[in-house]
Amino acid sequence: MAVTLPEGNLETRLSRYLEGFNNRHGIEDSLVEGDLVLVVVKPDDVPAVLTTAREALGILHLSFITVVDRQGSFELTYELLDLRGAQVRVRTTIEGEEPVIGSVTGIYPTANWHEREAYDMFGVAFKGHPDLRRLYMWQDHFDHHPLLKSFEISTRRTFEGLR
Amino acid sequence: MQTVLNLLEAEPIRLFLSFAVILFLVLNLAGILTFAERKVAAYIQLRYGPNRVGPRGLLQPAADVVKLFTKENVMPHRADLWIFLGAPIAMFLPAAAVWLVVPFAPKSVVADLNVGIVFFIAMTSIGALGLIMAGYGSRSTFSLLGAMRGAAQMISYEVPLILSLLGVIMLAGSLSFQDVVNSQSGGFWHWYFLPQLPMFVTFYIAGVAEARRVPFDLPEGESEIVGGFMVEYSGMTWGLIQASEFASMALVSAITATLFLGGWQPPFEFLDLGNFNWLWFAIKTALIIFTFQWIRWSLPRLRMDQLMDLGWKILVPACLIWLFVTAGAMLLLPSVF
Amino acid sequence: MLSEERRTEGTALTQPASGRLANPDIRDEFGLETIDMNMGPQHPAMHGLLRLILELDGETVVRCDPVMGYLHRSKEKISENRMYPAVIPITDRIDYMNNMAMEYGYCLAVEKLLDVEIPPRADAIRALMNEFSRIMSHIPSLGFLLLELGAFTPILYAFRERERIQSIMEAVTGARMMFHYIRLGGVKADLPEGMPETMWEYIEGLESHLQPDFIDLIEGNEIFIARTRGVGKITPEKAVEMGLTGVPLRCTGVEFDVRKHYPYGWYKNLDFDVVTDQAGDVEASYRCRIGEVRQSIRMIKQILENLPEGEVMGDTGRRIRPTEGDGIARVESARGEYAVHVVSDGSDTPYRVHYRTPCTVNMQLLQEIVPGHYLPDIMPIMGLIDPVSGAWDK
Repeated sequence: MAVTLPEGNLETRLSRYLEGFNNRHGIEDSLVEGDLVLVVVKPDDVPAVLTTAREALGILHLSFITVVDRQGSFELTYELLDLRGAQVRVRTTIEGEEPVIGSVTGIYPTANWHEREAYDMFGVAFKGHPDLRRLYMWQDHFDHHPLLKSFEISTRRTFEGLR
Repeated sequence: MQTVLNLLEAEPIRLFLSFAVILFLVLNLAGILTFAERKVAAYIQLRYGPNRVGPRGLLQPAADVVKLFTKENVMPHRADLWIFLGAPIAMFLPAAAVWLVVPFAPKSVVADLNVGIVFFIAMTSIGALGLIMAGYGSRSTFSLLGAMRGAAQMISYEVPLILSLLGVIMLAGSLSFQDVVNSQSGGFWHWYFLPQLPMFVTFYIAGVAEARRVPFDLPEGESEIVGGFMVEYSGMTWGLIQASEFASMALVSAITATLFLGGWQPPFEFLDLGNFNWLWFAIKTALIIFTFQWIRWSLPRLRMDQLMDLGWKILVPACLIWLFVTAGAMLLLPSVF
Repeated sequence: MLSEERRTEGTALTQPASGRLANPDIRDEFGLETIDMNMGPQHPAMHGLLRLILELDGETVVRCDPVMGYLHRSKEKISENRMYPAVIPITDRIDYMNNMAMEYGYCLAVEKLLDVEIPPRADAIRALMNEFSRIMSHIPSLGFLLLELGAFTPILYAFRERERIQSIMEAVTGARMMFHYIRLGGVKADLPEGMPETMWEYIEGLESHLQPDFIDLIEGNEIFIARTRGVGKITPEKAVEMGLTGVPLRCTGVEFDVRKHYPYGWYKNLDFDVVTDQAGDVEASYRCRIGEVRQSIRMIKQILENLPEGEVMGDTGRRIRPTEGDGIARVESARGEYAVHVVSDGSDTPYRVHYRTPCTVNMQLLQEIVPGHYLPDIMPIMGLIDPVSGAWDK
C-alpha cells in the first residue's frame, strides 16, 4: 500500500471533508475558513470521527493533540493534516476534573506519545492506550500533573515538597 | 673500563639490562605517541593540538603522566580485584616483551630467537587474554560487551595475521627476525612488500585490528559503549592500558617494517649507515605509525559483523591464494627466489 | 494520581522478547537470557540526555525503550507566565541548533491572533535567517552522524561551517546562538550595511567547498556505506503512520514539506524543490540533508537577489494583547514539522502554549525500528532522526 496523497482543488477537498464528517457523525459545530476545517464533537465520538478521517477521507497525518485546562473542563484539539494544504481540527470538551477519553492510538499510531504527554502533563486518561506511562516527569513518586492550572510554580516550594 | 664492559656482556646481566632499556624505550614511546597522536589528529582536524605545556607542547606527555599518577584508581565495588588489577599488566607485558626480538640494527637485537616470529604471534595472543580479563573483571554490562567483542575480534584477526607471515617465512627460509631482515638486503626492490603485496596489505589490516585502532576499535567503541572493556578503569590502571595500546601499535608498526619493509636495511646500498641503521628502522616504523594515525582520524569504524566478514571472508582467502602463488613461484622460478 | 482501573493494562515493557528467544523451549534448553542494559543519560554520543533501556540478545537489540525527560525545562508552563514578547527567548532554547525556526513558529502563531501587517522586507529577512539556521543545523547533523560512526574529523569541519554562519548571525542579530531576532510583527532590526554582500560571498564559498569538504570525504567511503546502507530502513507507510515529518519522512519517498505544501511568509515567492529519496535508510537521510543544504543555498540566493526595501517591523502597538482564540502555525524546522498552538484569553500572557516539536514524535522511531538491529546501529538510526535533546524534552 503506497502512500497516496490527496490531489485537487483545496476548497473542494475541504468541503468534501466537512461533508464526510457531517454525513457520519453528529457534529456539534463546524467551521470552514481558509485552509481549515474545524469540527466540534462530543468526547465519546472522537475515536469514531478520527476513524472516518483516516479511513474514509484519507487524512493521513496527526500533527498534535493539545489539551487546554479550562478550570472545570478540558478542551482537546486534534490537529490533522492531509499533507497537501488542508488542516482539519477536531475539537472536544471534556467536563469535570478527571478527564477520560478513548485513545486514538489504534487509528493514528503516532498519537501514542502525544497521549502519553497529555497524560503526563494534565492527567487525561486514554482508554485503550497500549502503554500509558509518563513521558517527561518522574515515573514514580510524582503524583502531580504539572500543566494543570492548579499546579503552581512557586519558587519557595522545595524539591522534597514536589516528590 | 674493559672489565666493566665484559661484565655487562655476561649473559644474565646483559639480558636484564637490555630488558630495562627496552622497557624504558617502550614506556617512553607510549608517552611520546600519545602526544604525536594528538598533534596528528589536531592537524588533520584543522586545529593545533597541545601547544601550551613546554615548548610547542612537547612536555604534554609528562603532564599527562603526572596527572595519571595522582588520580584515584576507581574500582567498582563488585569487581574481581585480582583480575581487574591484573588485566592492565597482562595487556602491557606482551606488548613490551616482543620488543626483545625486534632487530634495530645489524648487531642490535636483545634476543635473536630463531623462532622469533612464533614468539611474536604467541605474545599477541596473550594480549587478547588481558583484554578479556579487563572486561570480565569489571563486572559491568558495557565492559562485558567490550570484552566479548574484543575476544572475537582479536582471535579472528590472528588468523590473517599469521597466514600473511607465511609467505615471508617461505621467502626468507627462517623464523628469526634478523634472518628475515638480512635476506632483504640490496636495496628496496628486495624488500618483501613487493613480491608479497597482498600479504603486506593483509598484515597491515590485521595489524590495525590487533592494535584495536579505528576502523577496528569496536571493543572500545567510544560512541556506543563508551570505553567498552576499559570503561571502569581510571588513573594509572587506565594509563597502563593506554600505554599497552600504544606500545602494541608501535610494535605492529615495527614488525611490519621489519618483515615487509626491510627492517634496518637502507633503501639504497650507498645509504648504509652500518651500526646506525637503526635510523632507517626508526624512520620506517614512524612512517607506518603515522599511517595508522592518519587512518584513525579519517575513517569511521566497522560494525562487528562487517569486521568479521572482512577478516574471515576477504583477508583469509586472499592470504591462502597468495600463499599458493608464492609457493608456486618459488618452485617454478628457483633462480629468482 | 489515576486509580488503577483507569489506567490500561499491559505496557510495552512487559511484552516478551521477539526472535529466536521467544521460543521458551529454546530458552530453557540453552539457558539463554537477554541482557538488560542502559545506554544511560550520561553518554558521550547520545545527541543529548536520553536514556535507552535496551534488552540485548548478544549484539542484537530485542527491545528498545527511550526514557526522556532529563532536559525537561517546562517551557510550556513558563510560557503561560510570561508576556507574549518575552516568550520568544524561551522558544529559542527549545531546539538550540535551529533557533530561528522555533522563534518563527511562535511568532506566526501569535500573529494569527494579532491585527498586524508584516512588511515584505521582514518576511524576506525571516526566510533568509530561517534558511541560514537550517544550514547551521544540517551540516553539524552530518558531523554528528559521522562522529557516532567513529570518524572524528568531519564534525570539526562541520563546526567550522557553523562557526562561519554564527559570525554572520552575530553581525545581524547580536548573538551567536540564542538569537531572539524574530519578533512579533517583524524582525528586531534591519540587516547591517554590507551584510547582503557578505552573505552572498559566504554562500558562494559554501557552495564551492561543500563538495570537496563533505561529500567527497563521506559519500564514497566504503565503511560509511557499509554502516548506513540498509540500516534503519523505514517504509513510507510506516513513516506516515508514526507521524514522522522532515527528513525521516522525505528520505522514504513521501513528499511533504511545510514550506511547499502549507506555505508561509516569503516561501510563497521562492522556487525550490522538495528533496526526497526512495531508500528510507540512514544513507538516504544523509543524501536528503545534503540536498536540503543545496536547496537552502538556492533559496538564500533568490532572497538576496530580490530583497525588498522597506521597514522591518509592523505596528503592533505598545501592548501586545491578542484577541481571544487559538492561533496555530507550523513551520518547517530542520528536524521536521514544528507547530505552535497558542491559546489566548485576551490578557498579556498566553493562556496555554503547546509546542509540537518534531523530535518528540520522531523519537517513536526508536521504539519501532531499532529492535532487530545490532547495538552499533542505534547510533546511525539516531543520526537519521537527528534529534536534539532540547527539542524532544522541551
